[in-house]
Amino acid sequence: MLKTADQIPVTQTAVIKEIIDSPLKINLMELGFLPGKEITLKFSAPMGGPMAFKLDETILALRKNEASLIEVQLL
Amino acid sequence: MISITKTPKIAIIGNPNVGKSTIFNQLTGLNQKIGNYPGVTVDKKVGTMSYQGSTYEIIDLPGTYSLYPNSEDEVIAHRVLNQLSETEKPEYVLMVIDSSQLSRGLFLATQLIDLGLNLAIVLNMADLATKRNISIRTFEIFKALGVPILSTDARGEKGLDQIRELIHTRNFSKKGSFLAIEEVVPITLLEEVKRKFNMSNNYQAYQMLRFGRIDKVIAQADRDWIKSKLEEINFDLAAAQLEETKIRYRKITKIVDQAVVKESHPKKEKSGLDSIFLHPVLGYVIFAAILLIMFQAIFAWASVPMDLIDGFFAELSGKVSGLLPSGPISSLISEGIIPGIGGVVIFIPQIAMLFGFLAILEDTGYMSRVVFLMDRWMRPFGLHGKSVVPLVSGVACAIPGVMAARNIGNWKEKIITIMVTPLMSCSARLPVYVILIGLVVPNKTIAFVNLQALTLLGLYFLGIIGVLGTAFLLKNILKTTEKSFLMVELPSYRAPRWWDVILTMYNKSRTFVMEAGKVILAISVILWVLASYGPPSRMDEIRSTGEQKLALATSSEMEEQIQAETSSLLLENSFIGIMGRGIEPVIRPLGYDWKIGIALIASFAAREVFVSTIATIYSIGGDPEDDLTIRQKLNQQIRPDGEKVYNTATAFSLMIFYAFAMQCMSTLAVVYRETKGWKWPLIQTVYMTALAYLSALLVYQILS
Repeated sequence: MLKTADQIPVTQTAVIKEIIDSPLKINLMELGFLPGKEITLKFSAPMGGPMAFKLDETILALRKNEASLIEVQLL
Repeated sequence: MISITKTPKIAIIGNPNVGKSTIFNQLTGLNQKIGNYPGVTVDKKVGTMSYQGSTYEIIDLPGTYSLYPNSEDEVIAHRVLNQLSETEKPEYVLMVIDSSQLSRGLFLATQLIDLGLNLAIVLNMADLATKRNISIRTFEIFKALGVPILSTDARGEKGLDQIRELIHTRNFSKKGSFLAIEEVVPITLLEEVKRKFNMSNNYQAYQMLRFGRIDKVIAQADRDWIKSKLEEINFDLAAAQLEETKIRYRKITKIVDQAVVKESHPKKEKSGLDSIFLHPVLGYVIFAAILLIMFQAIFAWASVPMDLIDGFFAELSGKVSGLLPSGPISSLISEGIIPGIGGVVIFIPQIAMLFGFLAILEDTGYMSRVVFLMDRWMRPFGLHGKSVVPLVSGVACAIPGVMAARNIGNWKEKIITIMVTPLMSCSARLPVYVILIGLVVPNKTIAFVNLQALTLLGLYFLGIIGVLGTAFLLKNILKTTEKSFLMVELPSYRAPRWWDVILTMYNKSRTFVMEAGKVILAISVILWVLASYGPPSRMDEIRSTGEQKLALATSSEMEEQIQAETSSLLLENSFIGIMGRGIEPVIRPLGYDWKIGIALIASFAAREVFVSTIATIYSIGGDPEDDLTIRQKLNQQIRPDGEKVYNTATAFSLMIFYAFAMQCMSTLAVVYRETKGWKWPLIQTVYMTALAYLSALLVYQILS
């Protein structure tokens, strides 16, 4: 089932399917959020704060609405 | 033949957090200059490196992930690397890549190759990659890119020597192109741009098409030309850029697959520390504790050198006035210039220490965790997670706070942060608060709460309310096309690099002294002139009357009394005194008389000057720092109608005024320096004064 990255439960891994069109699409892609990559949600700040994803060897923090631009499939 | 010896320019570029600045610091040491780029608030960091008898100019460019500029920082990197900047055209570019994040680094590196730059790549932090069981076949990357690659660890001396050697031997190379941009942009269009702007490189032409319209250094006519060209063929550049990104990453992934060998079963990644530091409850507790320790340390440690500096300059001006023949020159130097310089130097301990702590937090990787934790709570007010640091610094002193706002990438969020930071209750407000609270709030304890302490706490909260309210207001007023976003890496924790910490402390202090110092010195000299000169006939009369009285004095107490009265009269009749009387009708509704008016004007230099000025006005002899004598004296001041001047309503009105008013020329100077213009400091001063006035008016009218 397709979801967006802001809906990934903590510690779950998902594979990126598509980055939704928006002005931030290019920023996400240059950071390495690309279709086919696996991301794992490591931490989530309280009350809808930023989310920290593991991508390759690094941890990247995104705001929830930025994460919602990443379409993923849970593994 | 005479060879022209020109210092070669080398630009260092890389993603954020790859150790780029460490390399820059180690190569150049103290031979750094911080300058300005035209039209932006980003600092230009240039240094010189000497190696085996040759000199090289090194430019440290702001970290960026791509050549697509999103923030002011990235505009600079974009401009310099595209050779659009008139003054900075580097001959060579050194690209620093984090070995464990190869593909992200190669994304930028291959863009640089496409620009036709003379490039060399440093694969930094090789040790960290080894720890993560990643090994890189450097030769594979070299084969694919064709530019020199050095795999090293720049935190060690050996790695640095390799980098120096690479620069010295000019081991850079220009490799045609990595990605054919003609595949996504029509070649005819690129050719036209190249002809128009006299360029030779297709990728550079594409960058001009894509970003030329938004870069203010490009002439309006040229920007219009680009726009019309794009409209002519109805070309969607954003789509082309996405396409380019996809192709580029596809090609990079192929290289990385070839070059990176991950040993089987990498060790389980340690996220142990983060499960504490990012814990939804514990994380905030730890952050609060770190702040508390930091400020305790700053208050405790900075006060020692600050007292020394204070004493040194007081003694110096005493000595100088003794040495020089008395007259206007002597008093200009000993009462105007020397205290003015002292007023600049006094801030160095606080600035250096705060930035020392911040550098440690940044270097260990903790700072991005703070941003992660706080972003959610800052956003409703138009602020960014990164605004926390400036605001919290503002409790000690707004000056380092405003300087720390530099790291906020988004223009609007940076301006809001700078505008509200001086509303936090800084340490200079304390002396004013302490005197006034002691005057009107009884030292009584009700249900374990001391009323005086409660009032002080209330004033601090008032500052925070002022900050949030103003930020919210600005959020709805300021317009920007920049989109706010938070995409920040949480780097691995590591020990701070002490040399970098020390250099940061040194550079921040020097920038403050050199740039804000001029303005502070100028204002303090002006204020001194206004306070020590007045209409000559009137001033002379006061002086001679004073001398006559002094001649008749019979005891040293009498002499002291007469001297204090004379200086009080002189201040009353000086230009500041005249101004104080002039503004009396305006401040009357706040419960202030013209004497307080004088103190208000004089304390524009710094809030704590309020205390020493009223000490002079009410001719309080002896030790003016003694709160008790001042308090008693203030308590005795009676209005013509028999009411106390410093009654509860007036005292509270004054406290509120000082909570909100700018009243600090050093902050003004530093805001001028950080925003590179007078627009924002002036708006800020007018706004804060208006806010202070209206709030004080409200409080006085309610209480009286």
